Amino acid sequence: MKIVARHDEAPGVRTMKLEFQDAADHELFKETYRTGMFGLYGVYGEGESTFCVASPETRKDYIECTFRQSGRVTSALANADIGDLITFRGPYGNRFPIEEFHGKNLLFVSGGIALPPTRSVIWSCLDQRDKFGKVTIVYGARSVADLVYKHELEEWQERSDVDLVLTVDPGGESPDWKNRIGFVPTVLEEAAPSPENCIAVICGPPIMIKFTLISLKKLGFDESNVYTTLENRMKCGLGKCGRCNVGSVYVCKEGPVFTAAEVSLMPASDL
Amino acid sequence: MTKILFSDKLDNCVERWKSAGLTVIGPVQRANISTYAAVEHASEFDFGLVLPDRSIKDLFFPQSEPMLRYTIKKESIDTDECLPPSGPRIIFGARPCDASGMAIDDPLFGWDYKDEYWFQRRNESVIVTIACTKADDFCMCTSLNMAPDSTKGSDILLRPLAGNKGWLVEELTNRGREAFKTIADILQESSDLPAPLAVVEKKFDLDACVAWLQNPENFESRFWKEISMRCIGCASCTYLCPTCHCFDIQDEGDTYTGIRRKNWDSCSFALFTMHTSGHNPRSTQSARWRQRIMHKFNYFPGKFSVNSCSGCGRCSRQCPVDMGITETLQEISTLSL
Repeated sequence: MKIVARHDEAPGVRTMKLEFQDAADHELFKETYRTGMFGLYGVYGEGESTFCVASPETRKDYIECTFRQSGRVTSALANADIGDLITFRGPYGNRFPIEEFHGKNLLFVSGGIALPPTRSVIWSCLDQRDKFGKVTIVYGARSVADLVYKHELEEWQERSDVDLVLTVDPGGESPDWKNRIGFVPTVLEEAAPSPENCIAVICGPPIMIKFTLISLKKLGFDESNVYTTLENRMKCGLGKCGRCNVGSVYVCKEGPVFTAAEVSLMPASDL
Repeated sequence: MTKILFSDKLDNCVERWKSAGLTVIGPVQRANISTYAAVEHASEFDFGLVLPDRSIKDLFFPQSEPMLRYTIKKESIDTDECLPPSGPRIIFGARPCDASGMAIDDPLFGWDYKDEYWFQRRNESVIVTIACTKADDFCMCTSLNMAPDSTKGSDILLRPLAGNKGWLVEELTNRGREAFKTIADILQESSDLPAPLAVVEKKFDLDACVAWLQNPENFESRFWKEISMRCIGCASCTYLCPTCHCFDIQDEGDTYTGIRRKNWDSCSFALFTMHTSGHNPRSTQSARWRQRIMHKFNYFPGKFSVNSCSGCGRCSRQCPVDMGITETLQEISTLSL
């Protein structure tokens, strides 16, 4: 795939827009891709890394991915320039069944670098806005600088049909920060969205997910109406190499999208 | 009357198979390690081993193998997919536990995406298994509902005659029959009786162990910490296991050319599941050993209806700190009483 655009979201976090080089591959992607699926992005000589497809299923002319530069592969991806070729395998895995969300209110809860998978679902729904009820987004990061998709956050903040609650961890605020200060689960409880006819989609680091699930339970959300995506380490993406297993589940094939009810059946200490 | 292959005729068979284009592979001693390897003559075989140190997994799923070669050019990247070197093979003298190990892994390599590397080799191999007349303290096939003369995964089963004179031939599959057609005139009819099979004592109650493993309450049992306290995470058990199949994918090369390889990996290694963020779902050795046991006797059978263990006992036999599946399941047997 060719890198046609790239920009930095936050320190060390970059988004790249990729275009297919082969029409048949592109057709196959268009047929298969649904929001929630993931891919393996690679640079020959360095290897492959797994992250979600950050662009929505309503925009399939290209693939967007957002990653934090932290290891060998992500450093190579970060060094790649516009016009360079990188590899993509996928899309793999299951998806968020958004047609089942039609007519319902949507609550998105996300933290830090986990906004990209959430953003794919958010735009997949906002691009067909009339099919859904109220849309609430709770997003937080360690600091103001660490918030990703800042231009899109502004856009959502200005939209009258989206409720955006932004927060940063205590100490992460800047002098001109006008939004909330506090951890995502606390801020979520203060915002207190109604569980009535509502689907919650939560993505974040394991610790945030753990406490957000507790908060959602307090707010009265049923586990079967809460969706999350497990971002385990993967190599093959095909249910063979063995490292993404949690209990009997192959996250790469049966996931990465699960309801909180499904997650509760998995051995918690192996998550 | 049954067909018999006499030991002194084996070299003729090896010649025959070689001229028919087959690579002949069998148990051999190589540089202080016993393994399955290609031979030129029957004299190289070592049938005296209870079991070679290394399993026949190496022949179907090598420790390291190229998947593709890449060349980075100014305007493009050339890639060349590498499939395994093709060619029919006969594996003569596999043990029943090794042969069944390959059949156990077929559904894993075949679900949804069919692994071409595995199935090309599976389809090109005839497995001639020799039933066991010797066993050691580590053999545990009978505890896994198998036996020294199990036929699962084999194309031919040979039952040894007394005094190493030869073997009674049981043809099990068409692939086996085809391979033995080429030596049909070498086989002789005889009424000799096979030597008694090895006696492999039952070491644990598998059903009781599985019931204990399936009880979610036992997932956090102190037992896991206690049993794996001495595990040094060397992964010998997983590398020597005929059914362990976890792998890594790595690129090796310089800036412009290189090979993307599939290498064995192991759930015993801490880095196996480590996220980029530093979070590690299985951060302790006890969590990793629990995963291995649960995967073999709870998760894998739940998915593919077969235990991911053929009872070869290599994990215990070769473990540098004397722990393995046998010891673990023996302990679980006592816990589940």
